[in-house]
Parts: sequence; structure tokens; C-alpha cells
Amino acid sequence: MLPNPLALIAEVTHRCPLHCVYCSNPLELAGTQAELSTEEWTSVFQQCGQLGMLHAHFTGGEPLARPDLAELIAAARDAGLYTNLITSGLGLNEPRLQTLVDAGLDHIQISFQDSREEAANWIAGAKAHAHKIELSRAIRRRVDRKRLAFTVNLVVHRQNLDHLEEMIAFIEQLNPERIEIAHTQYYGWALANRAALMPTRAQLERAVAIVAEAEKRLAGRIRIDSVVPDYYAKYPKACMGGWGRRLMLINPAGKVLPCHAAEVLPGLSFENVREKTLEWIWQESPSFRKFRGEDWMPEPCRSCDRRTEDFGGCRCQAFLLTGDATVTDPACSLAPSHSIVESAVREANAGTEVAQPETASSFVQLQKQTSDLWSYRTNPE
Amino acid sequence: MPPPLDASQPRLAAGCRWGPENKAGSEERVVLFPEGAIKLQGTGRQILEQCDGQRTFAEIIAELQKQFAVADPEKIRADISIFLEQLQRKRIVDY
Repeated sequence: MLPNPLALIAEVTHRCPLHCVYCSNPLELAGTQAELSTEEWTSVFQQCGQLGMLHAHFTGGEPLARPDLAELIAAARDAGLYTNLITSGLGLNEPRLQTLVDAGLDHIQISFQDSREEAANWIAGAKAHAHKIELSRAIRRRVDRKRLAFTVNLVVHRQNLDHLEEMIAFIEQLNPERIEIAHTQYYGWALANRAALMPTRAQLERAVAIVAEAEKRLAGRIRIDSVVPDYYAKYPKACMGGWGRRLMLINPAGKVLPCHAAEVLPGLSFENVREKTLEWIWQESPSFRKFRGEDWMPEPCRSCDRRTEDFGGCRCQAFLLTGDATVTDPACSLAPSHSIVESAVREANAGTEVAQPETASSFVQLQKQTSDLWSYRTNPE
Repeated sequence: MPPPLDASQPRLAAGCRWGPENKAGSEERVVLFPEGAIKLQGTGRQILEQCDGQRTFAEIIAELQKQFAVADPEKIRADISIFLEQLQRKRIVDY
């Protein structure tokens, strides 16, 4: 029997005040006009509760761009879900934070781009760093802090890995319960900017040692979650814990996807919560059934002992790198197409230069100055 | 972090809470926390339900020793201590 999904990833908007060059959102963003209403999201959360789902992850874009975020959180909480807000913090001050906590927010996860202000704002394409620090302090100042878990998410890549120790020390003094050290994953904008973001092997090896040391030192105080980036791993990541196996993602316009990037896959169409129930989509929709289980698997996955652990890796990465979504993820060292990843790794290790932050008086000027290096994420219409 | 002391008052850590009650008759209950959940039943559930930030570690042990009078009391103490220490490292329990 098909088990129920465990968690919902709710992309409540694609609008965002930041322009992070590592953003994994699709290049084609959903516009404001198409966004689901408060009532439509409320119905979604009720359906999630009835399906026995446990977590609702509010993400985007920047969820705070929705003025009805507190209502959405309350609706998810009423449906029995654990609520997690993944945010840049822009658009949040102490009174609004209080409103969200009163609505039932369980966990807030704030992203930092760097420990150094100039570099952080350069990656984000926005002056956000100082506000994030202020907000983190406000979170820890709260009298009823036991109600809210606080995670700092640090996205790491070629441009900041050289001072990872400094970044961890910086986060430590913000005093979260948890640190997520997230290596950039190459989808959407991050894939377009891969050459500027992919670390060298030396950077990665140093980072692994630094993280191991920090885990040991902070044990019992701050939990660190981190994974080795898949381009440098021997086996692919178990993307989403397997296709259609644990998670559902709903994009701002109500499309229900098995993962963040699935819309890039040709030949698949995705149902909308405006037309079908979540239960039907989970159980019956051709898109969720397409790569569920093992029937779709090619060799070497089909006869591989690891097929129940990594599920053949990521379908979107397979498509983005080879043009065919049905082949083994090229990140796997056993994949026939692994040379594609090897050559990207070779290129990343050929040059060791790291760019320097540019200062600009406006976002448009910053875009121009860095156009040879990368493209900043832009906003939907 | 060292293991809990007799006077420690263990509780669920920030942002960790019990999930909705299961259907009647189900032994199982879920603790929800950032990015995860654990299903608990039997003794594990009993121990964690006592971790309300009021009862001390010593009181929790005494209660469980009373319930499992046939078992070695020292072993009960050691087991509960390890259980709570593991959850503390995952930032699910504080003491």
C-alpha cells in the first residue's frame, strides 16, 4: 500500500526582496496574479492534515511577502501540522514575529549568505545582512523563546567556503538551536551560475574537516546538519527521499510537484489544487507515479543494491545534465553519463580564483558589474 | 553536554512538541521537531511524557522504577539517562 506523504513544501509566493545567485527556484517564476488565495491554502492544509502529513514548510520566494502569512500559519497549525518558516527575515520585525508565533509558528529558519556584510549583500544582491542580525537577536531576546526553534541556514559555495570557520563562529554567537550548512545545489539560478559557485576539491575537503570539528565542539548546544555536495560524492543524493515517496510541493500558483525543479521535465503535466484533491494527486496523478518505485529504473540502478537508498538520484538533475530524465543521475559514479559531472568538477578545479565583492549604488549597477560572473535572481511579473 | 543530574528538569526543547493524539487505542504518539518527527510508544513515550520541565530526573526515574519493579533499578536509571542524553544531542530535549 502507498504510504501517505509526510510533509508539504508550501511555496506561498515567488516574490523575494533578495536576488541570491544560488537560488534554486525555477527561472520561470510564478506571477503574483496567479498566487493561491488564503482560502485556497487553508483548504490545502486541511487536506494535508487529513492525509496524516506532519510538517508544513513555508518557503518561496520570501513567504513574508504574503500579508496573510499569519493566517496561513494558523490554518496549518489548526490542521495539526508542524509549521516551519524558511525566510530571509526581510519583512519581519518584532511585532510581526510575535503575530506569527501567536498564530502557531513552531520553527523559524533564517538564511545567512556570509559572515561578512559586504560579501553577504553581494551574494544576495540586496542589503539584507544587518537586518538578519537584528532579527536573530530579537528571536533570542523573546521571553517565551521555548516556543520557537531557531535555525540558521548557511548556503556555502566557492565564494565563501574559504572562511567557513569564521562563518560558523559568527553563527554561534547568534545562538540558534540548529545550523544547516547547505552546499549549493545546481538547479534554477544556481545551475546557470554554477561556474562561479562550484567549490574546488580542496575547499570541500577543508570544509568537511571544519564541520566535523564544529559538530564535536558544539554537541549538545547547537546541532549541525550538513551534507556533502553530490557532484563530489560517490553516489547521488536520495532526492526528496524518493520521487512521490515522502513529500509534496505546491508552487505559488497551486501546481502540485514532487520536487522543487520538476517543472523543467518535459512531457509531464502537473495537477493544480484548484482542480484536484491532494489525495487524488498523491495516489493517482501520472506525474507522481512516473518515477515512483523501481519500475522506471534503467541500469545500473535497476540491479544496484543502493536503489532503495538513493532511488536513482535526482530526475531533474538527470534531465538538466543529460537531456533525459529517465537515466541514472549523472552525479552517481556508476552512471554511464558520469563524465558530465566529472568534467564540471575538472573545470571547477582548474582555476582557483575567487571573485571579490563589488560595491554598487544600485541593484541595476551591481547586475551590470557582475554580469560576466553570474546572473542575479530576478522577480516574477 | 553531560548526562542529566538528579535535580535536572528535562523538557522538550524549543520548537519541539507532541503531535496530535492518534486514533483511539493507538499506542503510538509522535514528537514533532524541526525537520523531523519520532514515533514513540511504550516506555519511550512514558519517559518523554514525564519530561514536562517540572518533574526532576530523580522523580522520573523513581516513577519508572516503581512501574517496572522487577527490573534492575540501576539499569533503569542508566537507560533513561542514555535515552535523554541522545535526545538532548539532537536538540529535542533540554535539561
